[in-house]
Amino acid sequence: MTRNRTALKALAAAALCLTAAACGISPATAGRDAATLVIDTVNYPSTLDPGQQYDTDSYSVYRNIFDPLLRRDPKTNQLTPSIATSWTQLDPKTWKFAIRPGVTFSDGTPLTAADAAFSLNRILDKSFGSQQYANFSVVSAASADGPDLIVRTSVPSPTLLSYLTTLSVVPEAYVKKVGDKVFAAKPIGSGPYVLASATAGSEVVLQANPKWWGPAPQVRSAVFRAVPNVASRVADLQSRKADLVTTLSPDAADQITRDPKLAVLSTPTERVAYVAFNTIKGGPANDPRVRHAIAAAINYDALIKNLQRGYAKPINSLLSPLAFGYDTSLPDNRYDPAAANKLIDEAGVRGATVVMATSPSFNPQIVQAIQADLGAIGLKVQISNTDQATYLKKVQAPAHDWGAVRFGRWSCSCLDADGVVYPLFHTGGIWSSYSNPAFDKLAEQARTVTDPAARQQLYDESFKILAADLPGIGLFQDYAIYGANSRLSWTPDAQESFFLTDMKVS
Amino acid sequence: MATISARRSPSRVLSSGTTRYVAGRLGQAVLALFGVVTIVFFALRLSGDPARLLVPDGATAADIERLRDKLGLNASLWHQYVDFLGNAIHGDLGYSYVQNRPALDLITERLPYTANLAVAALLLSLVFGVTVGVITALKRGKWQERVLMPVVLAGQAMPAFWTGLLLVLVFSVGLRWLPSTGYDGPLSLLLPSVTLASLSAAAIARVTRGAVLEQLPLDYLRTARAKGASGLRLVTRHLARNTAIPILTVAALELANLLGGAVVTEVIFAWPGLGQLTIQSVSARDFPVVQAIVILASAVYVVINLGTDLLYGVIDPRVSAGGKGEPS
Repeated sequence: MTRNRTALKALAAAALCLTAAACGISPATAGRDAATLVIDTVNYPSTLDPGQQYDTDSYSVYRNIFDPLLRRDPKTNQLTPSIATSWTQLDPKTWKFAIRPGVTFSDGTPLTAADAAFSLNRILDKSFGSQQYANFSVVSAASADGPDLIVRTSVPSPTLLSYLTTLSVVPEAYVKKVGDKVFAAKPIGSGPYVLASATAGSEVVLQANPKWWGPAPQVRSAVFRAVPNVASRVADLQSRKADLVTTLSPDAADQITRDPKLAVLSTPTERVAYVAFNTIKGGPANDPRVRHAIAAAINYDALIKNLQRGYAKPINSLLSPLAFGYDTSLPDNRYDPAAANKLIDEAGVRGATVVMATSPSFNPQIVQAIQADLGAIGLKVQISNTDQATYLKKVQAPAHDWGAVRFGRWSCSCLDADGVVYPLFHTGGIWSSYSNPAFDKLAEQARTVTDPAARQQLYDESFKILAADLPGIGLFQDYAIYGANSRLSWTPDAQESFFLTDMKVS
Repeated sequence: MATISARRSPSRVLSSGTTRYVAGRLGQAVLALFGVVTIVFFALRLSGDPARLLVPDGATAADIERLRDKLGLNASLWHQYVDFLGNAIHGDLGYSYVQNRPALDLITERLPYTANLAVAALLLSLVFGVTVGVITALKRGKWQERVLMPVVLAGQAMPAFWTGLLLVLVFSVGLRWLPSTGYDGPLSLLLPSVTLASLSAAAIARVTRGAVLEQLPLDYLRTARAKGASGLRLVTRHLARNTAIPILTVAALELANLLGGAVVTEVIFAWPGLGQLTIQSVSARDFPVVQAIVILASAVYVVINLGTDLLYGVIDPRVSAGGKGEPS
């Protein structure tokens, strides 16, 4: 029986070796104190290079390492200085930005107008392949002129300044020296925090930058953890593992309010939940009367009260009231089933089937509520649920054969009507299954007029056309919902900016 | 199955037959990998466009085309495939579209976390499953069986997202004994590995019970009992070896499954392993990363299966890998 024992010992030894080999993983959470804020986000940032992507979980982290060219006041949403201390329009297509003197990157090199120009040109460089190219494609040249940054656009651009709030200034010399790949892993910026450590897929730790030009932030260090499951984020908050968690569902927010040591922080955002119609190959939805019937059939207040649990606001179009161009004269969408029924009979589509395209990225309860509301006025809604990649492929295809109705959420991160109505409804746009030359003309004009009053008038006219043709309905203005330990005081802003300098801990 | 112990010199375990067998199996493995990768390569590309997922909401068709060009998605499928195979042979599995880093680096960073969790879960389920299996077989029809078997089956019947959250609610939120999510040292391994083990333990317990029941009426055990061997000695010295093969087979399959990434458990516990990376990469259509994960998972499967087959020969010398064992 000695072999017996030898074999067993060998097995045990093998198991131990495997465990020992597997133990090469390290906890990165040592030494947390009162001035450290632990934040649960959904995903690990896909990059820390601010030139590449602009997804929430990435910019929540990297915008604290870099300074933006411009900022928005978190309370008023007005543009405020950051790296640019002032800006003037030299001619309709040229802007001059005075760069803040005396700012240095965390490695000690001074930040210049050349760095700001480099940061913008890098995004425009085709070989770099930035996913933010679309936001800046109107820029034809960016260059340094002594202490100033000069930005030229191909046409007059009223939204340039809005998008420049998303531009982070990166150090040209360092990026060129180490290359894009190293820069994404070891970013150096001029912002209030520096990268202390990053554990792939798990967490990123930031520490206050002692050389920052602004007032020293009260949060001395922050740990961003990737926790994809919303129930787990709530558990982290309840077990005091996290101080702040992002992207809560309205149900999860209810759970948090039961704990007196926790608070829900929420704010209306520029994100709008909407329904868009296929007015080209949408079957019954080709008829504007059916679209108006659907708009009157949806019980908006029930969606806001029951499904969003109050974390939403009524709205009159697809534009957030926070954005430039919002037409205050339009009435909020109204639930009127009697009028809806009348329109359905007029159009002669009672009992017709409408296909509703959606993806798991969108709340299925809202889709089902709309299905029930439309059922009540005699429309059979057939839900076509595919994953997001397939949904996009189908909806954005020029064939327009994706169905009749789709549900979505929209935010351009630009607080401007141009970023909403143009991509959604301009003829030939990838999202648009609608075509009206009169609307197209107004939307095109509004892109190149820089006088705010004239622009507002153009948008007022275009929203009148959209209200009549109704290629889409705004369902509600969405809220950003965060859960926080009561030791944190912070007012979230409409852009979901997540600047740690705005936060205080006790 | 005959059970008389036959002895042979250790060198026979790796006979020329075995070497040929291993070479053959490795050849098959390469073929299987090639097949799996080919299917995944084409199926992925039929399922959606990563460029559309990467661009901001307001992007135009031209912006998407531009990104497709940069990612090399505008080349013909055949061209992309030949490129991919050529690079893969040289160990280059491409760059992640989302993270802009080598796919291989991404998975090698995550592998230790998954391996740690898989091994811990396997050890737990082996200890628990084998113990329960042996007890329920020896105490067949008695109260021990009636109590233990339902416990194990309940563990298997509960889905990981439920077990996991329940454990978090009790041990993290309620008692505050253990960390709820993430990796904060060995203690944080406990809840996710118990969650995973509760799924595997039942399979191991049932196989163990079956194997032990098969052995119990046999002569060698009766002889051992007649010689006065105690219960414990009976199990560890006599039963263990003769029941090892089916248990090893199940355990190896479980390990291979676990090493592929325990998707649900990793998401619940925010465990930064391969399972989470898989979910993110599939939903972002990050083709190079998904392909790399599939290659790795298939390779792990093949290697573990081959390793198990070879281990049979070590545990039971009558079994020779290659199928030419001596008649007993």
